[in-house]
Amino acid sequence: MSDAEQPAESETHDHHDHDHEGPGYATPQAAIEAAEPEQTAYVMGLHVGQDVDAPDFLAVVDVDPDSDTYSEIINRVKMPNKGDELHHFGWNACSSSCHMDGLERRHLVIPGQRSSRIHIVDTKERRDPELTKVIEPEAVYEHDLSAPHTVHCIPDGEILISMLGDADGDLPGGFLELNDDFEVQGRWDPPGEIEMNYDYWYQPRQNVMLSTEWAAPKTYYPGFDLEDVEDGKYGQRLNFWDWESGTVEQTIDLGEDGLIPLEARFLHTPESTHGYVGAALSSNIIHFHESDGEYHAEPVIEFDDREHEGWDMPVPALVTDILISMDDRYLFGSNWLHGEVWMYDISDPSNPRKADSISIGGYFGDIQQVQDRDIVAGPQMLQLSLDGERLYWTTSLFSSWDNQFFPEEAENGSVMLKADVDPREGTMSLDRDFLVDFGDLPEGPARAHEIRWPDGDCTSDVWQ
Amino acid sequence: MTEVLLDWRDSERTETISVPDGATILDAAEAVGIGLPFGCRTGACGTCTARLLSGDVVHHRPPRALKDRHLANGYVLLCIAEPTTDTHLAVGATVQAELVPNPWK
Repeated sequence: MSDAEQPAESETHDHHDHDHEGPGYATPQAAIEAAEPEQTAYVMGLHVGQDVDAPDFLAVVDVDPDSDTYSEIINRVKMPNKGDELHHFGWNACSSSCHMDGLERRHLVIPGQRSSRIHIVDTKERRDPELTKVIEPEAVYEHDLSAPHTVHCIPDGEILISMLGDADGDLPGGFLELNDDFEVQGRWDPPGEIEMNYDYWYQPRQNVMLSTEWAAPKTYYPGFDLEDVEDGKYGQRLNFWDWESGTVEQTIDLGEDGLIPLEARFLHTPESTHGYVGAALSSNIIHFHESDGEYHAEPVIEFDDREHEGWDMPVPALVTDILISMDDRYLFGSNWLHGEVWMYDISDPSNPRKADSISIGGYFGDIQQVQDRDIVAGPQMLQLSLDGERLYWTTSLFSSWDNQFFPEEAENGSVMLKADVDPREGTMSLDRDFLVDFGDLPEGPARAHEIRWPDGDCTSDVWQ
Repeated sequence: MTEVLLDWRDSERTETISVPDGATILDAAEAVGIGLPFGCRTGACGTCTARLLSGDVVHHRPPRALKDRHLANGYVLLCIAEPTTDTHLAVGATVQAELVPNPWK
């Protein structure tokens, strides 16, 4: 069962051999060098909260331009239950375990955000993955945790999942640890160490982990209520942890500049203490770094609200996802409500410089159709090729929030789109030949959320 | 045992189900193969929100997904709701979507 106990399997992946025996790559540059253009994408597909009586699924998408089924969903692994809300997911192993001989990047850990159920999918056959294990919600509630979100493998083959609530969907959240046989090991953090939780990233060489804040599940699950922001029920703090001891060392309150800090990204180079957080509601990019023994954080990119004709209030950009290219040269992001994907030069991390953007989808995007298909929502979850030359994105945020802001997405389904990136020139352009339509499935239209590559990606791998 | 009339908000579809004492409406619907939206099944997420058109229900756990204004307007959570009388409910995914409007619009 444990991937560490099956060294023979690595022989079947000759074309992905590396200089070392464990999973992943020796360095971020080694990942770029080893990467072949991605041929297969794994994408979360959802029917939760629709009048489509079907479970959520893992979609296998063909992204090989030489294939007859290019930009099609070629396979789906349907979950055994309905109502999960598949959302974020991760690998059993990444470059942080590259010292672990025989361990493979092979199993996807796929939580249900609403159900608190955790699925294990074996991707030994890349285009025909197989559900092999289900951890039922009761095994999660037992540790007074619910609402699993970010999955990272941690060194030695274990898996850590950020949990946004307690067993009742209230605060505090915490972290759930799985062992390398995908059994619940228990709670990783002391209960009450944090209140709110959302995304996290760890940088082991700096002995630091950063976690961000959404809200209590019972607050964000039913939809986004501005009253809850006024009542302080949404997050605005960054929690910096001592990675070894699993305790919070420093909390930075970002105040109004950092309302709803979501995605957290350290630079890939393991030496760095620099990174970024997207404060979704404030629509600011927060840069953080360590100096003089403590972390500092401040907005370095600010997206202005925009007036929408006939509406009550100016609309925030809502920065819902960010990622850093594997060479640490660019920060990419999505402004879901405004309808924009952008890239900033971060070669001077404290002073990002705008490189390029595409105005597409959302309330204000210049491009509202691709191949005659209405996009109906803004760019949301991003994924970048390891070589930094192809940026992909999907358009669903969260079923209940989609219903509020882009209700057409329930009827039309999401799309997956792509831009070609020129990292030398700092430019990107929409690839109009690429469109994956999640609206055209036998059971009915589906939403699409996070994207991953079989060989690791810009939001999966950490280096020791 | 009570009778519950399920009335899909966005279509002509209606179904009548019997709910045994102690059971939730979601469980009773599933037992006869009728699919309704749901998520957490604990009353936290609101995916299964329906609206009472007549009759009454009792929630087995606190309905954490619903605010006082929702409860006052007859919204109920089918995953934890047991009818106490014969009941008529508006159901389907669009009922949940009414809970919170777009604040900027």
